[in-house]
Amino acid sequence: MKGFPGQGSGLVGMCVLAGVLVALTQFGPIAKDGASLLLALLFWATVIEGCVAAVAAGTLIKARWVASVKRELLSVYPLLLFVSILFLFLVPFVDSYPWAGRRGLWFDKKFFVGRNFALLLLAYLSARRFSLASERGEEGEKVLAALYLFVFVASQSLMAFDWVMSLMYPWISTLLGGYFFIESLFGGFALSGILYVFLYGRQQRVGEPEGRSDMKDLAILLFGFSLLWAGLFYSQFLVIWYGNIPEEVSFLVTRLSSSPLRELTVSIVFFYFFIPFLVLLPGRSKTNPYVVFAVSLSVLLGILVERFVFVAPVVTPSPLALGIDFLVLLVLFVFFVAKRGGGRRVLGKVQGRS
Amino acid sequence: MAKPMIFHEKEEFLKTLRRLVREGVAKERIRVITPFSVAEVEEILPRMPSHVQVFALAGAASGTVGGFAFTILSTLSWPLIVGGKPIVSIPPFIIIAFALTILFGALSTFLGFLLLSRLPSIRRIRSVEEYGNAFVITVEPEEAK
Amino acid sequence: MAETEKYDRADREILAAMGKPGRLYLLVLAFTVTLVASGFLCWYHQYRVGLGVAGYTHPVNWAVYITNFVFWVGIAHSGTLISAVLYLFRARFRTSFNRPAEAMTVFALMVAGLFPLIHLGRPWVFYYLFPYPNQRQLWVNFRSPLIWDVFAVGTYFTVSVVFFYVGLIPDLAIVRRCKEGIRKTIYSVLSLGWEGTRRQWRHYNMLYLFLAAFATPLVASVHSVVSWDFAMSILPGWHTTIFAPYFVAGAIFSGTAMVITLVVPMRKILVLDRYITDDHFESIAKILLFTSLIVSYAYVVETGLAWYGGNVFEIELFRYRAWGHYKALFWTMITCNSLVPLTLFARRLRRNIAYLFCVSLLVNVGMWVERFVIIVSSLARDFDPYVWDTQMYRPTFVEVGITLGSFGMFFTLYLIFLKTLPVLSITEIKEHL
Repeated sequence: MKGFPGQGSGLVGMCVLAGVLVALTQFGPIAKDGASLLLALLFWATVIEGCVAAVAAGTLIKARWVASVKRELLSVYPLLLFVSILFLFLVPFVDSYPWAGRRGLWFDKKFFVGRNFALLLLAYLSARRFSLASERGEEGEKVLAALYLFVFVASQSLMAFDWVMSLMYPWISTLLGGYFFIESLFGGFALSGILYVFLYGRQQRVGEPEGRSDMKDLAILLFGFSLLWAGLFYSQFLVIWYGNIPEEVSFLVTRLSSSPLRELTVSIVFFYFFIPFLVLLPGRSKTNPYVVFAVSLSVLLGILVERFVFVAPVVTPSPLALGIDFLVLLVLFVFFVAKRGGGRRVLGKVQGRS
Repeated sequence: MAKPMIFHEKEEFLKTLRRLVREGVAKERIRVITPFSVAEVEEILPRMPSHVQVFALAGAASGTVGGFAFTILSTLSWPLIVGGKPIVSIPPFIIIAFALTILFGALSTFLGFLLLSRLPSIRRIRSVEEYGNAFVITVEPEEAK
Repeated sequence: MAETEKYDRADREILAAMGKPGRLYLLVLAFTVTLVASGFLCWYHQYRVGLGVAGYTHPVNWAVYITNFVFWVGIAHSGTLISAVLYLFRARFRTSFNRPAEAMTVFALMVAGLFPLIHLGRPWVFYYLFPYPNQRQLWVNFRSPLIWDVFAVGTYFTVSVVFFYVGLIPDLAIVRRCKEGIRKTIYSVLSLGWEGTRRQWRHYNMLYLFLAAFATPLVASVHSVVSWDFAMSILPGWHTTIFAPYFVAGAIFSGTAMVITLVVPMRKILVLDRYITDDHFESIAKILLFTSLIVSYAYVVETGLAWYGGNVFEIELFRYRAWGHYKALFWTMITCNSLVPLTLFARRLRRNIAYLFCVSLLVNVGMWVERFVIIVSSLARDFDPYVWDTQMYRPTFVEVGITLGSFGMFFTLYLIFLKTLPVLSITEIKEHL
């Protein structure tokens, strides 16, 4: 498959086109409010930031986790700029948040938009700096990785507290920020799994001579993160369930009292934990690319469904608008990854080791 | 008992081991003693993975099942009607089951290790052949058929 | 030099610590034993007179004893992190720390386990905590976090002891070789007749892997369960979802500081520089820095969200923590836990062992104070304004004595460990020599 618009201007043009499409969807008759765009951004901002974070974390610890797909993962950082601009399309939607109009600097609409936009922009800039340094193998790589991770944590925490938690104001969960950035990292690793299978298929790349294959390392990471996620989910759930105080429990009750939300909520635990944990438990499945692919898909699906479940009781996304927004970002993502690999190393055709 | 070959260099030891395997000595007849775990030995004389993992899985599974069974059945038999939570409330019981999974898993793995390694060995406790930090290969003589 | 000579030298140098105790050792041991004795005397006084001798004043009915419990359980976690979690991550630098760290875990848990008994006031009914069929027709309340503690800490103690012992088996075989007489017999029995055959190593490696795999979730879960002692209440400042990861990070933070506090003097006095290098300390310092950042994040989020949510009781509690009766302790906590560790971003400071030692002492203090601030301030400012400011809770000499006694007990056990068991994991070090 040759002939991708590989160079810079082509991609910028695509982004502009995509932006126009999203704007038309958002401000036109298709989307009733910003819920669909919010949901699409909640998924894609998380996953894209997570991709870069996965590489940054590996760089800091000098681990080889995602080394095989590092370039592909880092190649999507320009999308963070795109996502920041898309966030601005949500400005009119901010008025429908329950805290709109409250006194206090934190609830000032301009400050709300400003801080979130600034953090997304900062994430883009630090991701860019880190990505370029990583490609060139610069000395200060680890410092830039740490810097990106700081911005990442702040950005994801604010995404959790501002975009999602404040939809249910005055409900608080102090864990939500940490929960979101762990999910983001998890999503980054899941995406690595998918990219790895697409790029290397059945071929097993091996780290050191007697080391484990990279796919096995990824599988173990996914396994471990599913446990970590389950622990965080359980911590939040248990505290809310046990305290049973009305102002907190409403969060659980609205999502567990009736179908279809109830089934969707339960399915989250399956997508994030039971499927990865049980499927990756036996040793043989850790080196099977189809299995790792399926598990990664399950995790990404879990992210999407969970974000939907967070948002749905408060604002309903319109399916068509959601589909358009989601697909636009998906297509852009694929193009950015494909461009990184160059024409030759795309979708399964491996031209020897590189 | 055959005479043990004692080596003071790891590479020499591994070379001899590889030579013995190449010469066709049956792997079951080769006894090896090392001061620490040498990964290459497993490559030269491969065997099935240790069955300790069976014990681990069995222990962990019994811990999970036991944890839930124990808590659920005892609260049903002697219910304590306090706290406003259901008598059989699964979220807290998960913690108990989790703790017991780990406990039984760890203990049963340890037991499995002891059984499979034939430890403690009373004979060896009383007197053991000490080779210090040397690497030792002993080739058992062939059984007369 | 020939390989086996290198190994022999490692044996000699590391086992040298088990020689006859010198004067310094006996002096320090005498001091720690005195602390233990005074701690037990204070406990005896409380046992005879009653819990009133502890400074409890409504509504503060949990204070120093629970602080100590949480503190010591937290210390234990770092040991398991270094032995088990870093093993799964295949981090080489762990081999020089893992024996002292595992010992630290076991001893910290032994000390921690005393505190629920001390805190009970009537320690002779401690058996009420255990679930067994009894003629009182009463079972424990499985829905109570206090019982979850029993299971979690009990499991953790058992698994840690097994893990510690399993790691010791090959090393005990080395000690057996070097001793004579009754000592030789004891170590022979303890090492189970270990020889180092291929079959034994195969099963041993798998056992160690599984124990590490089992112990790893314990690191996260046990201190989460301990944190839920507080989070399951509805008190402002206690009832918050972040407690589990926040406490786990805090546990690893304080435990890592304790490892540094123990290993720096140990390396100096026992001359183990060949095996514990500055690189190792730098890696440990990075863990310290990382967990400090997580703890600081939790402080910021908790306080920020209290203001954001608008609940007057939450807001008042956080104001009270910073500016109320215990503000000196609060700001000590912020300085020691959040500000001082930031200096470890500088590589030069990370590799300065004396500086690391001072930082670790400050962190130990800061983390103890943090537990105290969390527990006492939330109890002192709950939902009933009538009892605020009636009487400020202050620890009495009994509580101080028992706290000092707990430190004494921990160090006494550690000193005994130094003389009776190999102080580093000789076998693992030899693998990487």
